[in-house]
Formats: sequence, C-alpha cells, structure tokens
Amino acid sequence: MNIATKRQITIRTVLYYVLPVLAIALIGLGWVVFSAGHPELMPPPALVWERFVKTFTKPIAKTSLFGHAWASLRRVLMALMIAWAFGISFGILIGWNKKCKAFFGSIFEVIRPIPPIAWIPIVIMWFGIGEFPKILLVFIGTFVPLVINTSAGIELVDKINIDAGKVFGGNNRQILADIVIPTALPSIFAGIRTSVSSGWTTVLAAEMLGAQKGLGALVTRGWQGSDMALVLVAVITIAIIGALLSLGLQKLEKVVCPWNNK
Amino acid sequence: MATGKEKLEAGLKEWKQKRNKEILQLAQLSAAGILSLLIIWQLAVMLGWVNERMLPAPTQIFETLLYKIGNKPPDGNVLWVNIAASLRVALSGFLAAIIIGVPLGLVMGWWTYADRFIRPIFELVRPVPPIAWIPLVVVWMGIGLKAKALIIFFTAFVPCVINSYTGIKLTSETLINVSQTFGAPNREIFWKVGIPSSLPMVFAGIRVALGNSWSTLVAAEMLASSAGLGYMIQTGRTVARPDIVIVGMVVIGAIGALLSGLLSRVEKYFLRWKVNR
Repeated sequence: MNIATKRQITIRTVLYYVLPVLAIALIGLGWVVFSAGHPELMPPPALVWERFVKTFTKPIAKTSLFGHAWASLRRVLMALMIAWAFGISFGILIGWNKKCKAFFGSIFEVIRPIPPIAWIPIVIMWFGIGEFPKILLVFIGTFVPLVINTSAGIELVDKINIDAGKVFGGNNRQILADIVIPTALPSIFAGIRTSVSSGWTTVLAAEMLGAQKGLGALVTRGWQGSDMALVLVAVITIAIIGALLSLGLQKLEKVVCPWNNK
Repeated sequence: MATGKEKLEAGLKEWKQKRNKEILQLAQLSAAGILSLLIIWQLAVMLGWVNERMLPAPTQIFETLLYKIGNKPPDGNVLWVNIAASLRVALSGFLAAIIIGVPLGLVMGWWTYADRFIRPIFELVRPVPPIAWIPLVVVWMGIGLKAKALIIFFTAFVPCVINSYTGIKLTSETLINVSQTFGAPNREIFWKVGIPSSLPMVFAGIRVALGNSWSTLVAAEMLASSAGLGYMIQTGRTVARPDIVIVGMVVIGAIGALLSGLLSRVEKYFLRWKVNR
C-alpha cells in the first residue's frame, strides 16, 4: 500500500467520525448565536438549563417535572392497556371472520379516518377535562392502528398454512391460536409500536387543550406565560421520553418475535 | 370432450354465482352495520337515552351540514372556506415535506458521508412530536399560513425521510453489482436502480405523511387559527354546539379518506411497472 492511498483512507476515517460531531456542533452553535440575537424567540441553552433546575426547586402546580412526566405517562399506559386488549381482539375478529368484517368493519371504516385529535372537542364537551376523557382520547388514538395492523396481519397469513392445519384435523380455534396468530405476531407488534407513538402524541394534544398536570399542560403554561424556556424544557422532556419508549419497544420486539429479524 | 368442457363451464358458472352471492351478502352486511349504527344513534336520541344537547341525532347533523354550506355562524366562515383554508395549509406543508424529505432520505441512504452528517440532526428532531412544535412555531412566526405549514412540514417530513432512507438501503445488492459490472458510475446506479427500487417504500412513507399532516392540521388549527375545519370544531365546542363539532369531524374524516384514495391512484400510476404477486 503506498502512502497516497493510506493517507486517503485516514482522511476518510477521520471524515467518518468528524461529520456527526460537526453536525451536532453546528446545531449547538446555531442555537447559541440565534438566542443571543433573539432571546425572546429562543432562550439560550444556559437559561433552559436554569429553568429545568427550577422545575424541581419551584414546582409547577405542586408537581415537579418528573411528576408531570409521570402524569402523562400514566394516562398513556392506562389507555394502552385497554386499547391492546380491545384493539388486538377486535382486529383478530374482523381479520378472521368475513361476516364480522363486513358488519363491524364497515362501522370501523367510517370512524377510522377521523384523526384522534379531532375527537378532543367533542370528548371535552361530553366528559369535561378530568382524567377519564384524556384516557378515552388516547384510547381512540391507539385503537385504530392496532386494529388495522392486527387484521392486516391475520388476513395475510398464507392460505397453504391454514389448509395444512385443516388437513391435520385442527379445528378453527386451534388453527387460529397455533398458526394464524403466531404468523401475524410481527404485524401485531408493528401495531403496538405505532400505538405507543400515536398515544404519546395524542396525550400531549389532549393535555395542551386542557389539563392541570402533564407535560402538555407545561407546554401550554409556558406558551401562555411567554416562558419559552419552560416550553423548551417540556418539549425536550417529551422528546427524550418518546425516544426512550420507542427504543424500549425495539428491544422488546427482539424478545417477543425474534424470527422477525433478518 | 364437449361434455367435459360443458361440465367445466357449468362448474365455473356455478362457482361464479356462488361468489357473487357471497359478495352481495357481505355488501348487505356492511350496509347493515352502518345502518344499525345510525338507527341506534337516532333511537337513542329520540327516546331520550342521551341528552340531545350532548349528542344530536344524525338527522340534526345532516341539517347542520346543509346549513353550514351556505351560512357563516357560528365560526364566521362558510363550510367551503374552512375546507379550502385547511386544504391549503395541509397540502403546502405536505408537498414541501415530500420535496425536501424524500430526496434527503434517498441521499442519506445512498451516500455514507451525507448519512453521517445529516443523521445526528435528524435524530434530534425526530422524537419531538409535531404537536409540541406548535408553541415554538407560533412564537416564531405567528399563526399565518407559513407557521401552520411549517408544523405540517415537521410531521410529514419524518416519515418521508425514514421510508426513503430504508427503501433505498433495501436495494438488491445483485442489481447494484450487475450495474457496476456493466460499468455504470455510482450516480447513474442511484438514479436508475436505487430510486426506482425504493419507490414502494417511498410511497408508504408519503401515505403515513399524508395521514400525519391531516391529523396535525386539526391540532394546529385548534390551537391557533382563525379559519379552517379545526377552528370550526373548536368554536363549536366553545359555543356548545355539538352538531357543529360532529359536522366538522365528519367532514375532516371524509376529506382525509378522499385524499388517501387519491394518493392510492397516484401510487398505482407510479408503480404500474411493478408486478403484482
């Protein structure tokens, strides 16, 4: 290997590791420069950090930042439990039984295109701004992707596998439990992943439109009080929790359906 | 021979009749599903099981829909004006996201250095739910068309990039090797092999982006706006008119379904070369 190619290779490796650092540095620099010029539009990083510390020393609505994060998370988790139970069973029902699909599926198809956020006003009118309407809204937001993914997964099961099950004398229930559901598991899991991120978004919207506690409430509070640092603290917390949730699910997917990996 | 053929044709005819009967039966069941929903709803209101001030009957909803077509109250705009305002915002953000997001994802998936540079920035932006951008964007740019289109852009941008990236990464190695053997330069392989083979994934991303745009639009209009369907249902709530809210929801749902149907047509046109298995 001559010196020229060797040098070329080192330049390439350096570039490979420097570029990501450079990108992050540029973003950081951009933030500092912009906030120095327009502090009312974008508070500088130091101020955001100060505000972050202040959420613990001087809690908002008698709750620290972690308390607000937990309030949002709890709503999502409770709604998810219910949505997983109902959504997956409903998806299996309309994926497996053609008549059920025709009867209930048509109702589902009418309701499905309405975005979960569009339900917020009517749900607030019906049930106020307590805990139940928020959980209901997250339920609506998570139910739809679960049903779509589950029923699609069930319908995509290879007909040959079902026929083989029949030849070996399996009854309907056995074929469903031993052949169809395991085959559909990866797409059911895809539904679970979508449901988590969609639930996290919906809970924010619901909290932004009326809540005492929760990260969405913090965003609105900062917004209405022109406290942009608080908005940024809340948004960054929201992003970190969202990223952690999707990372956790990726790990879980490898455990639950290991055959889904290339 | 003739009798065998006749038998076959008779069998085919019988099978076709049976299938048609089944399709008809399923269609009837679908209609029955929707009808029974509407009838139960109507009965529940008429018999006083639910409060009419909370949930108006379907007939009332229909009347309000007709009323909104020609009348401005209570939100100050005729239905068409609201629809046009919403569509304009949603489509401008959505198209901008396609124009910027898809090429960006393709370039990131094909050239490693671009990936190394853009990826960290993208990963910083990605986990922020689009709705959380609303306060920041409103403070930066007000509540005009540009601000709302930017929010829509954020929500549609992420799936466009991710799917284009994954799609072009999944390009078959064999095809790339064949092109290299025939002496094609990298850029030509990108255009002639990489992009076409990524198109199905790209369209899946665009589909997700469209759904996201439409649903985020409602949020943006509910939080900061003076026209649009989201604004209409938010006003309906503040003046306690559930019929307006439900009309708004129905129109939002219908247009969302319409847009997604339209996209399917476009997708079919662009992927007409793809062999259906």
